Amino acid sequence: MSYYDLDAILTDAEKVPCKFELDVPDLGYLDNNPSQALKAQTPVSLPLWLAELLALSSRTQSSNPEDSAPFLTLEMPKALSNEVVSALKADPRAVALRDQTHNMYGLATRMLDLFEEPELCAVLRRTFVTRAAETALHARKAGATDDVVRGEGFLSGLEEWERSLFRRAHDGNKACKEWMEGVKK
Amino acid sequence: MALPLPQGLVPTEVAFLCEMEMVTIVPRQRLESIPLLSGDTPALRPPHRAQMPLWLALLLKKQRRANIVPPAWLHPASLADIIHHETNVDPQAFSPPPPPPTRADGRTGRARPFQENIRSTREAPKPGDDPRLAPPFLPSCTADAPAGYLPYHWLELAEALLAHAADDVPAQAEVRSLLRDLQEVRAAKMRGSTQSLEGGGGVVVLRGVGAMELAESRGFVLGVVDGVRKLGASAEATRRDEEANGGGGGRYGGGRGEFEDSDEEMEF
Repeated sequence: MSYYDLDAILTDAEKVPCKFELDVPDLGYLDNNPSQALKAQTPVSLPLWLAELLALSSRTQSSNPEDSAPFLTLEMPKALSNEVVSALKADPRAVALRDQTHNMYGLATRMLDLFEEPELCAVLRRTFVTRAAETALHARKAGATDDVVRGEGFLSGLEEWERSLFRRAHDGNKACKEWMEGVKK
Repeated sequence: MALPLPQGLVPTEVAFLCEMEMVTIVPRQRLESIPLLSGDTPALRPPHRAQMPLWLALLLKKQRRANIVPPAWLHPASLADIIHHETNVDPQAFSPPPPPPTRADGRTGRARPFQENIRSTREAPKPGDDPRLAPPFLPSCTADAPAGYLPYHWLELAEALLAHAADDVPAQAEVRSLLRDLQEVRAAKMRGSTQSLEGGGGVVVLRGVGAMELAESRGFVLGVVDGVRKLGASAEATRRDEEANGGGGGRYGGGRGEFEDSDEEMEF
């Protein structure tokens, strides 16, 4: 992952739900209540880069990792909630991942680093592989036939990883087709 | 990063490499041996067949000084056989690459390229000095290549022959349509081959895939493999940690291992 990777930066900016473990003064505006302090246990959404830092660092000076108390606790974002995962389990191709978040898999890898979720990992892998085969089929057919409309629903539901995969598959097909047309020369 | 070319060979480069493949020609005119970097070409005497690199054969064909003998696997019956194998006999895997050529005495050896033949007449071959050639480097597009097996450069060679030496290919319309069918069947298999990554095994079997198909699908397959690797990275890291801990426990004795395990559970 490069420092200048736009997708990584955008993934960093994804909002994740979390709850502060303590009252925070002057942060009330996060809960639409600017005059008061932010109460502990109020659900707020913070960008991933900030939430991750606050969830992993300890607010006490204790060196013992056993009683480390983080500033806030993280929760799974809505895009990786149980409803979405069940829908993906039922049929990976029927879910428009882009409607959940543009960087579905990028966000998922970050969350999998923080949470131990072997089942979610397996579901996502199956989703990715199944959708990849479908993506490649559309990449091959794109531009070759007129029935673009049929695949439009699926293609607009592709998230960033899948879009780059589509582009790579299509580039390969295109280069091959161009050579095949030029072989007559 | 700034290099505009994709990873690996692009289709035009693959087609260029394919021009080194040996094909069989029937010359129409006499031509003396030409000294080339890759060895001397055989002297052409009209009724006798000779082996030539594809680029030279196409050149002679364009000058109407030779006819190209298409390889046996390009015959419609052979192509139909291969399609049958791909669709009915083994719908999962690609059809196998051609076997190494057998010698008359039954031992598997190799057919020699023309320069090797010339050299071997000059000096007696030493026993045991017989490097086995892997499929991409076998002369598998000559007239005595086995029928029913697709060589490494099948698509490029077939397209080149159909484009420049169409009158030498028997039943060329049928061959064309069979080639299109074969290409579609194998492209579908290529897309399906990534399904085996689902369980996390991480191995895509690409035995028998041609050079042009590789060039076409390289970006896609690499993208899928990379994506699966990234998705499984955290699970893989946990597994490695557990393995390292398990190994450490074994070294220090059972009691120490148990202590480490309980320590790990406390963290979560």
